[in-house]
Amino acid sequence: MRKFLGSLFCLALAVAAPGAMSRGFNRLLDAVVRIDVREVVFDEGTRRFTGGVGSGIIISPEGLILTNAHVVSPQAVEISITLASLERVGARLVGWDHWTDLALLQLDLGEVKKRGLKFTHAPFGDSAALHIGQEVYAVGTPHGLTRTVTRGIISNTGRYFEDSRGVRGYETGSYNTWLQTDAAINPGNSGGPLVTEDGSVIGINARTYIGAENLGFAIPSDVARRVADQLVRHGRIIRSYIGLVPGVLQDLEKFYSLPGNTGMLINSVDPGSPAASAGLRPGDVLLALNGAKVDGRFPEQLPPIQDQIARLPVGSKVALRVLRGGQPLDVNVVTEQLESHVGEEWAFEKWGLSVRKVSRAYARENQLADSTGVIVLGVQPGYVAAEAGLGRGDIITKVAGQTIADLATLRKIHDAYAAHPETLLVDAQRGHRISFYVFKP
Amino acid sequence: MRYFFALSSLLAGLAVGRASPLPELFRERLKSVVAAEFFVQTEIERRPTFVLGSVIDDRGTVILPGAAIPPGIAPAQFKDFKVYRPDSAEPFTASYLGQDAFTGWHFLRVEEKLRTQLVPITRWVGTGGEPALGEELWGIGLRAKEEDCQPYLLSAKVGLITRLPQQTAILLADVAGPGLPVFNRDGRLVGLAQTPFGQNYLLFSHTQNATPVMLVNVEESSVVLLAAEVLPYLGRIPQDVQGRPIAWLGVYGLQPVDPQVAKFLKLENQSGVVLSDLLESGPAVQAGLQERDIVLAIDGKPLPHFKPDRIGAAYFGQEILRHRPGDKIALTVLRSNERREIAVTLGDEPRMVREAARTYYERLGFTAREFLVNDSVVQRIKPAEGRGVMVHFVKPNSPAATAGLRPDDWVREIDGEEMKTYDQALRKLAAIENDAGRTQFVLLVSRGGETTVLRAKLN
Repeated sequence: MRKFLGSLFCLALAVAAPGAMSRGFNRLLDAVVRIDVREVVFDEGTRRFTGGVGSGIIISPEGLILTNAHVVSPQAVEISITLASLERVGARLVGWDHWTDLALLQLDLGEVKKRGLKFTHAPFGDSAALHIGQEVYAVGTPHGLTRTVTRGIISNTGRYFEDSRGVRGYETGSYNTWLQTDAAINPGNSGGPLVTEDGSVIGINARTYIGAENLGFAIPSDVARRVADQLVRHGRIIRSYIGLVPGVLQDLEKFYSLPGNTGMLINSVDPGSPAASAGLRPGDVLLALNGAKVDGRFPEQLPPIQDQIARLPVGSKVALRVLRGGQPLDVNVVTEQLESHVGEEWAFEKWGLSVRKVSRAYARENQLADSTGVIVLGVQPGYVAAEAGLGRGDIITKVAGQTIADLATLRKIHDAYAAHPETLLVDAQRGHRISFYVFKP
Repeated sequence: MRYFFALSSLLAGLAVGRASPLPELFRERLKSVVAAEFFVQTEIERRPTFVLGSVIDDRGTVILPGAAIPPGIAPAQFKDFKVYRPDSAEPFTASYLGQDAFTGWHFLRVEEKLRTQLVPITRWVGTGGEPALGEELWGIGLRAKEEDCQPYLLSAKVGLITRLPQQTAILLADVAGPGLPVFNRDGRLVGLAQTPFGQNYLLFSHTQNATPVMLVNVEESSVVLLAAEVLPYLGRIPQDVQGRPIAWLGVYGLQPVDPQVAKFLKLENQSGVVLSDLLESGPAVQAGLQERDIVLAIDGKPLPHFKPDRIGAAYFGQEILRHRPGDKIALTVLRSNERREIAVTLGDEPRMVREAARTYYERLGFTAREFLVNDSVVQRIKPAEGRGVMVHFVKPNSPAATAGLRPDDWVREIDGEEMKTYDQALRKLAAIENDAGRTQFVLLVSRGGETTVLRAKLN
C-alpha cells in the first residue's frame, strides 16, 4: 500500500512539471461563463420563482452561448451571464433541445456594446476524432466555484444513456451518445465545456453519476454544433417520430436467426403511433431503414438509428424492412412530429392550481383515450382546488361543461371566474376513475 | 329455525336471570370462540396463518373475518386447517367452506367431536338493540398458539356509532380479538369485532422529529360490527368453495359524490356514485349505463350520504352483492342533468384470480395463469382482445426473475409465437420446461401498456 501511494505521488509531481498551458487553452478560459438563472416553476398550485447556477461557453463573435437544457429552459425569466472579465450581462434564450440536453443563449449585445465589454469565443474541436485515454479538461462552476478547471481522460467515446425524465422531467438521450470522462464533474459544471489541451471544445458537460467517482458525461461537440446551428436558424429542433421503442438485440441474434451484425429489436410500439397504425409489432426486428442496413445489436448503436429516423422530414414516408416470425416484411410508415410527454404548464392563481397540458405522448404512455385535459401538478392548501379535493396527478377533463382541449380554454374559464366567481363543476380522473368536484368561491 | 331461536333466548334468559358475575359470563362465552391455524401453500413455501373466529351454529360452522385470508389465493392452496379452543393445545381438524362475497366472511366447519363443546354466538342474542353511547362492552382476546390460546378479558366504552356502511360501533379502546364476539354487561351479544383500523401517531426519535406513522394492533380491535348487521347474514354459508354465485354489474370505477358536488347537483340529503371503467359487454353496458353516469338510487332507494364519502362507493358495491345473478335492479342515474331509470339484469361475476387455472414451471421459475376478464380491465383492452397468459408468480433468482419478468406481467408471445389461448401457452411452456437441451426462451410481455422482449437463460 505504501508503495502504491508513493508511486501515485511521483506521478503527480511528474505532471505538475510542464508549466504553462497553451495559448488556446487560456483563450478558452476567457470564453467560459457562469450562468445565473431565475425561472418560474408551476408546482404546488402556484407560480413560484427559483434560481440556479450553471456554466456555459461562448461559441461565436455574436455572443452565442451553449449550455445545458437543464440549466436554462423556456421557463427562465432572467438570465445573467458572468464573463471572464467579471462583468455581468444579461442574455436571452435562443432555443433549447432537451433531447440532447442543450440550450443556446445570446448575450445582450446592446448592453455589451453600450458598456464596451469584451469577450472571446472558443473554437469547436472534432469529437469524432477523440480517442479513449486522451487527456481532457472540464471548465465550469461546480457548486458555485466559478472558473474551476478539472482534468481527466476520455473514458469512453460512445456511452449510451437514455432517460425518459432526465431533463426536468423531459426525455433525453434518445438521439445521441455521450462522451464519458473521469475529469471531475460536479453540480454546477453543467453546460461548461470539455476541452482538449489546445482549448478546443469537444463536449458540453452535462451529468455525472451521483455517488460514483469520476463518471462524468458530456454531449459530443459534433452533436452540440449541429443543434446550435439549427437553434440559431429555427429556434427549435424538429424531429420525426414513428413510435418505435428499440431494444438491444445483444445475444438474441441466434434466436431470430439473423445474419451477422444486422438488426434492431423493436421492443415496444407506442399505441396509436404511426408504427402501430402501419402494423409494426413488438418483437419485430428492424433489418433496413429506407434500404440501408440497420445494426442495433448494442445499446450505443441505438441513438444513431433513432437519430436517422428523427432527421427525416416530418410527414415523409419511411420504408422499413422487418423480420417477423423468420419472414422479412416490408412496411411503410409516415412520420409525424416528435412531441415530448411534458406539455405546457400554467398556474391558475384564483384556484390555487398548477397544471400541465396532457400531451399526445403523455396520453399514449398513460393509456388515455386522447390528449384532452390537464394534469394537476399541485394545489395550494386552503385554495379553491385543494378545498374541492383535487390533488397532484388528477387529470381535469371538463370544467363547467366545457371540454379542456387546450390551456387557452381553461384560461378563459379562469379569467371569467376571477371577474365573476361562481360555482363550477369539474370532471377529473384519477387512475382512469372519474370523479366530480366543485370549485366554490 | 324459530324453535331454535326460542330455545336459545330461553337459555340466555336463564343465564341472565342468575345475574352472573363477569367471570362466569366470560367462561361461558369462551365456548363461542376459536383460533384457527392453516397454511397457505405457494409455489415455493408454506406460509402459516393464525386467525380468530366465532362459532355461528350447532353444526360447527365458524366465521373468520374477510381480511384473515389475502385475496387471490385459490382454496386448493389452503392446507391443514386446525382449530383450537381457548386455553387448549389440542388441535381439531376443520374444512374450508368458502368466502361469502357480501359479508366477506370465510366459513369453516370443525370436525364432529368438537361440535358438542361449542356454543354458537346466536345463543347470546339479546333484545336490547344498539348499545348506548358510553356503554361499557367487553370481549375476549386470545393469545398465540404457543401460549395455548390463553383467553383474556378486554373491555371498553362505546365512543361512536356510525354507518361504514353497516352500523358499526367504535370503542375507546380495544374490546376483542378481530373476528370475536363483543358483549354487554349482561352477556348479550352486541356485535362482532372487525379488522382493526390504523391509528395515527407521531414518532419521535433522537435523530428525527415527529415522523407521522400509522399503527395497527393486529391482535385486538376497537371496531365492532353491530349484531343487527351480523345475525341476518349468518345463513350465507357458501354452497360452493368459491362462494358462488356472485352478482356482478361490470363496473370497475365507483367514485362517491362529495357533499359539495351533491349540493351543486341539487341532491338533497343523499349522495351518488359516479360510474367509470365500464366493462364492454358487461351487464351495466348492456343495460345502457355509461361512463360519468351518477347513480342516485337503487330500486327507488336513494343512496345515503356517508362519512367519509368513500363509504358511499362501498355501500353501492354491497347493495349489488346483496343480489343474485339474474336479479333485475332499477338504477336511477343522473346523466347530463337528466334523471333516468335504467333496469339492469345483474350478471354472474366472471372467474376471479382465486378460481383461475394456473401452472407453475419450476425450471423456468414462474407461474402462468389464464387471462381473466378482470385482467382486460387492468390492461385497458377489450375482453375479446385478452389472449395469452398472466404471470401469477415469479420465483426469486430464477431464470424468469433474472430476465426481468414480474408478477402481473401479461405474456403475449412465447418464443416469437403469439399465444391465443391458455392451453396453447401451457403446451409451449411445458415443451420448454421439459427440453433439457434448451438454453433460453424469449417472452414478449406487456406491463402498463408498454411491451418489452425478455430473454431468459436456462442452464
